[in-house]
Amino acid sequence: MTEKLVVIGAGMASGRMLENLFEIAPDAFDVTLFNAEPRGNYNRIMLSPVLSGEKSYEEIVTHDAAWYEAHGVTCRFGERVTAIDRSRKVVIAPNGEVPYDKLVLGTGSSAFIIPCPGHDLPGVVAFRDLEDTTAMLEASSGQGAKAVVIGGGLLGLEAAAALRLRGMEVTVLHLAGHLMERQLDESAGYLLQKDLEKRGITVLTKASTKAIQGEGKVEKVVLEDGTVLEADIVVMAVGIRPAVSVAAEAGLEMGRAVKVDAQMRTSDPDIFAVGECVEFNGQLFGLVAPLYDQAKVLAKTLTGEEEAFTPKELSTKLKVTGCDLFSAGDFAEGEGREDIVFRDPARGVYKRLVIEGEKLVGAVMYGDTADSNWFFGLIKDGTDVEEMRETLIFGPAFQGGGSVDPMAAVAALPADAEICGCNGVCKGQIIEAIEGGATTLGQIKATTKASASCGTCTGLVEQVMAVTLGDGFELPKAVNICGCTDLSHEDVRRLIKSKELKSQPAVWQELGWKTVNGCHVCRPAVNFYLLADWPLDYADDPQSRFINERVHANIQKDGTYSVVPRMFGGMCTPDELIAVAEAARKFGGTLHVTGGQRVDILGIRKEDLPAIWADLNAAGLVSGHAYSKGLRTVKTCVGTNFCRFGTQDSTGLGIKLEQKLWGSWTPHKVKLAVTGCPRNCAEATCKDIGVVCVDSGYQIGVGGAAGMDVKETERLVDVKTEEEVIEWTTAFLQLYREHGKYLDRPYKWLAKVGLDWVKEVLADADERAALNDRFEVSQSVYRKDPWAELAKPEPAKSFLPIADLTQEAAE
Amino acid sequence: MQLKGDGIMDVAVDTPAKTFIQVAEIWVPEGETLVHGGGSYGDLGAFEAASRRESFAKGEGLPGKAWAEARPVVLKGFDGSYFKRTEAATEAGLTTAVAIPVFAGKALKAVLVVLCGDDANRTGAIEIWREADGLLMLDDGYYGAAKHFEWVSQHTHFPAGQGLPGGVWASETPMLMRDLGSGYRFIRADSAGKAGLTTGLGVPIPVPGENTFVLTLLSARGTPIARRFELWDARAAKVGKDGGAALVDGICAREGALWDPENAGNERRAEAWQGSIGKVLGSGLPVVESGKPGLAAGYSSMVALPIYLGGELAHIVAWYV
Repeated sequence: MTEKLVVIGAGMASGRMLENLFEIAPDAFDVTLFNAEPRGNYNRIMLSPVLSGEKSYEEIVTHDAAWYEAHGVTCRFGERVTAIDRSRKVVIAPNGEVPYDKLVLGTGSSAFIIPCPGHDLPGVVAFRDLEDTTAMLEASSGQGAKAVVIGGGLLGLEAAAALRLRGMEVTVLHLAGHLMERQLDESAGYLLQKDLEKRGITVLTKASTKAIQGEGKVEKVVLEDGTVLEADIVVMAVGIRPAVSVAAEAGLEMGRAVKVDAQMRTSDPDIFAVGECVEFNGQLFGLVAPLYDQAKVLAKTLTGEEEAFTPKELSTKLKVTGCDLFSAGDFAEGEGREDIVFRDPARGVYKRLVIEGEKLVGAVMYGDTADSNWFFGLIKDGTDVEEMRETLIFGPAFQGGGSVDPMAAVAALPADAEICGCNGVCKGQIIEAIEGGATTLGQIKATTKASASCGTCTGLVEQVMAVTLGDGFELPKAVNICGCTDLSHEDVRRLIKSKELKSQPAVWQELGWKTVNGCHVCRPAVNFYLLADWPLDYADDPQSRFINERVHANIQKDGTYSVVPRMFGGMCTPDELIAVAEAARKFGGTLHVTGGQRVDILGIRKEDLPAIWADLNAAGLVSGHAYSKGLRTVKTCVGTNFCRFGTQDSTGLGIKLEQKLWGSWTPHKVKLAVTGCPRNCAEATCKDIGVVCVDSGYQIGVGGAAGMDVKETERLVDVKTEEEVIEWTTAFLQLYREHGKYLDRPYKWLAKVGLDWVKEVLADADERAALNDRFEVSQSVYRKDPWAELAKPEPAKSFLPIADLTQEAAE
Repeated sequence: MQLKGDGIMDVAVDTPAKTFIQVAEIWVPEGETLVHGGGSYGDLGAFEAASRRESFAKGEGLPGKAWAEARPVVLKGFDGSYFKRTEAATEAGLTTAVAIPVFAGKALKAVLVVLCGDDANRTGAIEIWREADGLLMLDDGYYGAAKHFEWVSQHTHFPAGQGLPGGVWASETPMLMRDLGSGYRFIRADSAGKAGLTTGLGVPIPVPGENTFVLTLLSARGTPIARRFELWDARAAKVGKDGGAALVDGICAREGALWDPENAGNERRAEAWQGSIGKVLGSGLPVVESGKPGLAAGYSSMVALPIYLGGELAHIVAWYV
């Protein structure tokens, strides 16, 4: 006997279930199909190319009227089911009840709308169905030209690219640090963002929406950081939630969605569910592949065949023309996991495989997805990949990868490409010199001046020589930063500037890093280079710092920390000193007077750090950065204020210098001193920068050392006024920040670039002024007390004894 | 997946109609000369015969000019021009020609020339867009009877990522747009709708040097450029290093949509020397075929144009009438 089957929802899952059912048992059921949308089943995942104009709606119709008619389906489209009466076994809808023997719920999901102020304004749209698509099309064809898409996941980005094609100015707001963070790692997210930006789409990550505003309709979006974006439409694409109200009201057992067993049966044996409205073993489903698996199982269940649903691994592809990405499995870093990374910066290719034990557990690919199905198969099947580990990244054909050739980039440079920025020497001039007989670096320096100044271009000059001379030139083996890269510190600094690389993922990708995220050697260096070169674009990454810099205190051998408040110029007030003493007493610290004229509170437990900082902040004291690769102290003598021999106000000048320079990060630590007369009580002549006051003005010396090496400063310049001291000192420090190799103290850096070059650069008043300007730009970000930030309740939690191990630094 | 819907007919009409492009021919370099490499001439036998006798030195005639200047060239009105076959063309009623050079890196592979007749009833557009100051501007184009659309296009520019030309430019990928007349912010779209233009094929035309060109073919219902369009992806990054090409998008008046999202990664493939697309893969040259059995969906002629990126064959676009 034919049974009555009622299906609620004509989506892709229930549609596929019907196809399977009609195939297995064409006449077993008399089917009534309800759909709240006034149409039948279409391929919802292809709505984004319809939105972009790359497909027409007609092309994505899966079941048209003729199909439903041919299969005898009674269609109740445009009719939302209001209730299920399980006792009478009827479905209740506005145009009348329908009895069922078996009922299938395929009610799908609805878009999650962020409940921020203004979320209900006209012009705020989701992206779930054809109505939403039509609404966006209407908005894009009107006078309004600006769209803000909230959510940088699959759907949001497809909407963004489509609206851009339609002619809108599009901004994507994404809460996480990189796009599609659930499917992509940082490197792939970086490449995707770059590709979208190439299309004229603005991408803002770490962007949190505060409110949507407008008079009667959307006009702007306000972010938590105060940014205001004009908008004619706002597309919310932050996620979905199962549409299960009818099921819940019918009293079916619910979790986050309708609970089903492996046969897709709900808590009522005659009611089944399939698709996005289903919860199976605590899991929800949003991608199409498992939905189709469920459909197949349900069709068999309905016809009495044995079948069980098993969730499988899923893969992700993005439907934006020209963006080739693939992601599958689990690519989180973890204990016992090994990464295999391949990058081809020139082609914008990034591939990463994650292996655990002998199995491939995750794969992320961008720019080259040729072998993605093969990798996906290995993940799904749990294939033992031990035997092919060496060649795995090159795919099934072991094609050979072809590593990045740094020489190719140099060979491709045009003749007018500047090689030596200091002396304005182009590639063509170097080639001319080589052709004129210069075959060694020394000869090139002598004839062209290339690499004769700061020396950071030496590697590049040598590469030009190697390209030009071929076998006639033996390229000196560059000292690479670490095993993650073949590039030297100098190369990386130069390329960060010239290629305008402004994030770590950009450095890893564009410079062909061999690892996913660098290591404990390169990450701190790259972090410094980025913040020094792009202070406004790059945010310091604490996870790329050593423990002392990360917690803003020095770890001691017993695991406790030392806390050193700043005392500008070695001065403090009685109240400040009392505050230091009280803090030490309160937290059980030991006091020690340092050689840098400050008081060190030793023996503070990690969990007490935020509290002691708060106490010290309350007394007006800030971090002394006694732990940093940055400005440490400015030691002074008492100068003319008190000393009979003082020639100038050395204390006052020291305070001014420290107030200007504090908080700045440098390649290594920097210590200053200002001494009031040549008797040198402040020991200025063994500091990184030392100022000696004399009757005629000030002698500025640089490059001193009093550690493993002991070295006297060398005279940089003599000046007449305090203002000049501050200007020259700042310029020197900034030059060191811009050119120094990470972990080179100034004296080591000077030994490489030569004091003469530094003098020559700083003698130019315009250059000095520019260096001062750039330093101030950087200080607009970094001249602030890190303790005050970390003492706030939320960040202070990270100092509690149970650490968040996922956030451990690269050490 | 079953795909149906009368709407598909809107974008590629399969009714007997005059086509917008009347002649398509290939010129291939042989030493310092471009020689005839095949063509589709319909019933214009005299023009075909004249063409088969022809050859062009670099800089000579329309194909030679496209080669020498390394850019697509539109030539409207042959009288008194550098066009070498003016007499035969005039007799055939042809008035406009567009030459599209196919470069692989710096090497010229071929020049595709399409010719159209001036006809008050023929509507369509063949456009060349060129990048200038960060925007794509119309370099030149032929529009037949779509005069208003021509005027609007001359006064339109596209930033990267916007519209068919901007989308092709930004993605470095051919694109096939449906329903050009609606849903866009551009005034051009309104005008396209009024002119009856429905389907648009956009193709990057890489040339040596710094210039950026995008070719767009806009097809109207009444006088279509094609009744079937295909986009094939031949990049190693997509299909692997063993070569071949995958049919990633397309639409046909006879067969409907030529794509299937449920088959992603397992699309229809063509291998070198297998069929007309295979001929492009094997030879690296454009292919024009006509009157030959076995063309897709029983069409009588087709043009397949290879697109190179970084010197490698990356995509093939094909259109059939």
